Amino acid sequence: MRNKRLLNLLKTIAVLAIVVWSLFPIFFIVVSSFKAGHDIFAVPTKWFFEPTVQHYQKLVSAWPVFFSSLWNSTVITAGATALAVIASTTAGYVYSRYNSRLLNASIVYLIGVRLIPPIVVTLPLFPIVNWLGINDTHFVLIVLYATFFVSLGTVLMRTFIDQIPRELDEAAAIDGASRMTILRKVIVPLATPGIIAVAVFVIVFAWNEFLFAFIFTSTNAKTAPLVVSEMIGSIDGVDWGVLFAASTVQLLPVLLFVVFMNRYLVAGLTAGATKG
Amino acid sequence: MTSQLKLTRRGFLAGTAAVGALSLAGPSFAASKTLNILSHRVHQTSLGEGDADAMKDWKAANDAELNWTTFDSNPLMDRLFREASLSSTDFSVGYMVDNRPTSEIAKLFEPLGPWLEKDGIEEFDDIAPGLVQGMTVDGNLIGIPVRTATQALFYNEARLEEVGISAPPTTIEELVEQARKVTESGKATGMILASDLAVFPVMFARAYGGDFINKDFELLPNKEAMEKGLTTLADMFKDGSLPKSYATTKNDDQVTWMQQGRAAFTVLPFARAAQLNNAEQSKYPGKIKAIGFPGSKDSTVPMASVVEAWAMVIPANAKDKELAWSFIKEVSSKKNTLVMALNGNGPARVSTFGEAELTAKNPLAAVEAEVLAQARGAFPPFPEAARAQALFLEEVQLAVLGRKTPAEAVAAIESRVAPLLPS
Repeated sequence: MRNKRLLNLLKTIAVLAIVVWSLFPIFFIVVSSFKAGHDIFAVPTKWFFEPTVQHYQKLVSAWPVFFSSLWNSTVITAGATALAVIASTTAGYVYSRYNSRLLNASIVYLIGVRLIPPIVVTLPLFPIVNWLGINDTHFVLIVLYATFFVSLGTVLMRTFIDQIPRELDEAAAIDGASRMTILRKVIVPLATPGIIAVAVFVIVFAWNEFLFAFIFTSTNAKTAPLVVSEMIGSIDGVDWGVLFAASTVQLLPVLLFVVFMNRYLVAGLTAGATKG
Repeated sequence: MTSQLKLTRRGFLAGTAAVGALSLAGPSFAASKTLNILSHRVHQTSLGEGDADAMKDWKAANDAELNWTTFDSNPLMDRLFREASLSSTDFSVGYMVDNRPTSEIAKLFEPLGPWLEKDGIEEFDDIAPGLVQGMTVDGNLIGIPVRTATQALFYNEARLEEVGISAPPTTIEELVEQARKVTESGKATGMILASDLAVFPVMFARAYGGDFINKDFELLPNKEAMEKGLTTLADMFKDGSLPKSYATTKNDDQVTWMQQGRAAFTVLPFARAAQLNNAEQSKYPGKIKAIGFPGSKDSTVPMASVVEAWAMVIPANAKDKELAWSFIKEVSSKKNTLVMALNGNGPARVSTFGEAELTAKNPLAAVEAEVLAQARGAFPPFPEAARAQALFLEEVQLAVLGRKTPAEAVAAIESRVAPLLPS
């Protein structure tokens, strides 16, 4: 009994330590965005202070490009998510319902592709993207982000679709449904948690991604992480208050989304865990 | 496998179509021409915006819009060189820092000598000759200097007064002594320096008449002076005049420590005076002052501070070189150099430092001009410069932290960096 209590206490401490470790940087950024500039790095730390929105006002006046970049991030994230979800769902369906040596080999290839560091493919792509004339467009990032996640999304969707009884497909087929109709009317509604899980992964990735955006955009499709990185300027110094305000604004939508969709994310992570 | 959330086909397709339509939306420009510029944001803001836009008349006269794409320094250089290496680029003007143009890189950019002969820049000789020299590679001028950042010694006057120091140091020996006095008072750390930049050990070596690599690619031209510089830094670390966190200190820490009064001295470009004294960010507005970094009382060589300069370049593969040159000419004019200086830009023209409007607004202008007259880059550009700097810093840190003697570190710098120098 005593050992059990001790174990529970240790578990609680461990969980608390992980929570503090994970949340403190976010807490620090959000709280600092409401502190006066000279209080942000005050020693000792000022825990009680009069909140101010001056950094948010300055963000609006000095960095209008940040808000247009947020719009770019939104369009690109939405586009990449839609594309990745469609591709992953249809591919996952094929992998789940069909079986051949080629298909089995290709799934290994899909996972292998995911293991390649992005920088390896990024730099050779630069001249190609320029040649195609799609540099600095939303389109290029939508395609790249979706492509990057289709492999993981496909594996994830296959696992979800595997759990949908094949008898439902067969029943629909007997009623005259085509493969596409079965996918749309039987599989997609039942695999919605999987679709949401894939969407969450893509959204979090696309919203925060820096490397591809840095290489392939300049002005028209510049995303928010690029503008935030510019605020950490090495020439004219960092205005920490404005940087933290921008980080908070950028963090908020994806944080709320992940909190809201948390249960689907867990479903995605544990998909197939109890299979068999 | 049930869900409350309904994803209908119609809704899904409508959402996808909407996103597709949005992604096709693009900006439109009223002017007939657009000049695409690749720069740091500071280059754009120093020209002013809105009614204060220094390029307003030029834009009207040329029926052109300026389209600025801005990045931080290193990503900017990376992007500029990648754009210049394509078969063609939309960027007709780029801003390049003076420690980058090696022979290989210079080939990617338009030689500006012929442009200068054809359509000259107003009083070109007024642009500091050392800066012009820095952008001349293999006999070709590839960039027009536009911005300087000269390193200064910043001190917190209030912190010095607290320990009875009424005047800043005039020699490096006095600097060490004053930093020690502040540290011993327990009120602040004597000095804060980033450990990941070569600028600082180079400045300490120069204070004794030495250098890391001089313009003739001579490595450690005065080894004894470099040893003295490293010994001074190591002693400052040992007695606490440099913080215990020295090995992880970054450039931004220098600013925040000075703003908070946690350190009495630091080395930063003159242009940082505004930020260090900004009442919104600093606990010591108006109290953080700057002077030239002092040399040793025993050195016969004048102290040469480190200066970094930026220049405007035209990629050789640019589409509209005429418009690019016209822009460069306009930005380099005396009038606009002053406008940029008033907006915090370190001028590249010598005469600008003497402009009454600037000296009234920036009391450091005269000091900066004096320091700039002797200043030079931390080291000349060469293909292996980044690796050489990394090795140099590795040995400097070992010496400062006491893991190696300064003599051992200097010997290691010599043996490790020498193979990287151009033959």
